[in-house]
Amino acid sequence: MQFAQICDLVEIDTASMEPIDLSSFPGTWINSNPETNGIARLLMSESDGNLSLQTLAVGPTGLIDWGRTGVDVFTSGPSSRLAAGFSSRYDFDFVEIRLQGMIMKGLLVLAQFHRFKDDSRRADHFAREYYAQIPDGY
Amino acid sequence: MTPTLEFKQNSHLNPVLTDPGTRILQADKLLGRWLNTNRETRGIAECVIERDGEQFIVSAVGVGADGPIEWPRTTASALANLEEEGGQRAVVLAATFDFAFMKAETYIRVNKGVLVIVLYATFRDDSGRSNYVNREFFYSRD
Repeated sequence: MQFAQICDLVEIDTASMEPIDLSSFPGTWINSNPETNGIARLLMSESDGNLSLQTLAVGPTGLIDWGRTGVDVFTSGPSSRLAAGFSSRYDFDFVEIRLQGMIMKGLLVLAQFHRFKDDSRRADHFAREYYAQIPDGY
Repeated sequence: MTPTLEFKQNSHLNPVLTDPGTRILQADKLLGRWLNTNRETRGIAECVIERDGEQFIVSAVGVGADGPIEWPRTTASALANLEEEGGQRAVVLAATFDFAFMKAETYIRVNKGVLVIVLYATFRDDSGRSNYVNREFFYSRD
């Protein structure tokens, strides 16, 4: 087994491998900062063992729905089967936005990478915000 | 006449983004040699960040079974970090280390003097290992 750091040298029994437990993520995640000018909430759902993400961001006249997209799931270690993070990407005409989330102490920490593709000369930038999962029906 | 800017969130309209000063990346805090704060780490032992003009080069050393493992040097892309470090226009680096069997996508930033590397590992082999996310902390040795 190849590895670049010894924590990746693990014994895996592929015959008895369980599917990744995605239960940490489905639901609604709201930004801990009500004054955010970025992503206000994330709606995550599971279907057929896959996670998807719908992103709602703060616009001048209300929330802007970025639509639904698939996510790649990450656990907390090479032998873990419990989802602990995800990555996703939105590709709009003028900007590409990559999202990387990880759960820490019950909060979702979302790193956001904004790369502009238009000629507006806006700086590519990074943001990191925190989201709390709200119960169903909240 | 000011051109209309496209946006997907209010922050895309932040005038700071078009301020020429924002494009001057204040990356001094990131540069140098960094050692893992955890001497028992089984992950990245150290990291070196260098700047060559507008380019940032990141090298890392993983903890191996029989000694250190040099990771391939990689070019990082720099993004302005407008909201952290007390309003300072700090920089975040995004660097991908490409191994044949695994890809490690990282983002690297300094928070209160500590370098934080968040690593998303994706395995390309059929080892059955789970893709995972990990976070480690480093202190400056310069």
